Amino acid sequence: MSADFGLDLAVLDRDGALEEARAGLSRRSFFVGVAAGAGGLLLYRGTDAPAQTAADIDVLNYALVLEYLQAAFYTEAEQAKAIKGRAGEAASTVGAVERAHVKAFLDALGSKAVKRPQFDFQGVTEEPRAFLKTAVAFEDLAVAAYKGEAPKLQTPAIITTALGIHTVEARHAAWMRYLYGIRPAVNAFDEPRTRPEINKIVRETGFVTSTPQTRSSQAPRYTG
Amino acid sequence: MRDGPAAAPTRGNGPTRADLLKRGGLAAAGGVAGAAVLTHAGGVFAAPSAAQEQRVLNLLLLVERTEDAFYRQALAQAGLSGDMQEYAEVVADHERAHRKALEDALGSAAEKEPSFDFGGAVKSPEAFAKAAASLEDIAVAAYNGQAGNVGKDAFLLAARIVSVEARHAAWIRSIAGRDPAPDAVDQPKTEKQIRAALRQIGVQA
Repeated sequence: MSADFGLDLAVLDRDGALEEARAGLSRRSFFVGVAAGAGGLLLYRGTDAPAQTAADIDVLNYALVLEYLQAAFYTEAEQAKAIKGRAGEAASTVGAVERAHVKAFLDALGSKAVKRPQFDFQGVTEEPRAFLKTAVAFEDLAVAAYKGEAPKLQTPAIITTALGIHTVEARHAAWMRYLYGIRPAVNAFDEPRTRPEINKIVRETGFVTSTPQTRSSQAPRYTG
Repeated sequence: MRDGPAAAPTRGNGPTRADLLKRGGLAAAGGVAGAAVLTHAGGVFAAPSAAQEQRVLNLLLLVERTEDAFYRQALAQAGLSGDMQEYAEVVADHERAHRKALEDALGSAAEKEPSFDFGGAVKSPEAFAKAAASLEDIAVAAYNGQAGNVGKDAFLLAARIVSVEARHAAWIRSIAGRDPAPDAVDQPKTEKQIRAALRQIGVQA
């Protein structure tokens, strides 16, 4: 599997699927989903970015912080070189995907993007069992978070991609669970989690050592 | 699929789609995150016509019925053991629950169930693993492709199901030694593509 994931993305919407996916949504958007351009994963392309509402920006920034967290975690594990075998390969592959997600959100948000927090993973990136256990927690959390946030998005442009990322996080969750030796899919339905729930869980890990401030004073902080 | 976002709801007498979804107890669970945030007027959830939403839910029901039949037949005939048997047992239960949720949501608007012929795919562990991975990937693409074509209650139900389908896909791919998550973003498929893929797997016309 390539480490540079962005270059592996197929050119999309050859068949109109993205068009159909948003057919029931507003047609004002220029969004064509994710596309493989020179820069890799894009949230949209076109001469004009889709108009983002304050709600969109808020959700995108929230998702960005979760992607920052995951990308930093896998990248640190990859660089530490202490996770071997299938788990090590998974760390490299998933890390590349999470970095692609970060870049997509940064590109979409431009100057409105929140800054990357500081993380301290307290050594879990160097111990195989702790690494996998943490990966499972992060991925399950991401699935629940995207599910909770996606309905808040107001731009059809962005929601289709958010859902496609949501199911990739679910694949990652199942993958890490399989490697850890626990059931990849426990319940018939995955439930969403609210921001306060997500924030509480993240805060309790102690992995985030500095918190970004979003631009809007009304927007919740990443950790409260 | 193209009734259009601005089409006014054309519900007749009787319960609305939302009522049916709630009757299934489904909207309630999704409401944790949904109820408070889905109220903005003119948001992403344009009101679909009842006919459009029924069509989408029937497509997703076809996916679930196909999965349900596939796993039941495989458990009876494929000679599964170990990891793969555990996978098939757990996933069969999930698909049955998904199927029931969609049947409850559709009520009398649910289409008649087709017959299935999965051929060799339910006759050996190797063929089963390959077909199961295809079927789960199809399910993910089907749900992701229809997200914009339903109202908010159906959206919330679909969101709670689709990530479980993605987990199934990654699980069987892991067992089979394949890449569990080959893309950075899962791509949607059109209704036409989904129906064609399901026919190829074993849905009879």
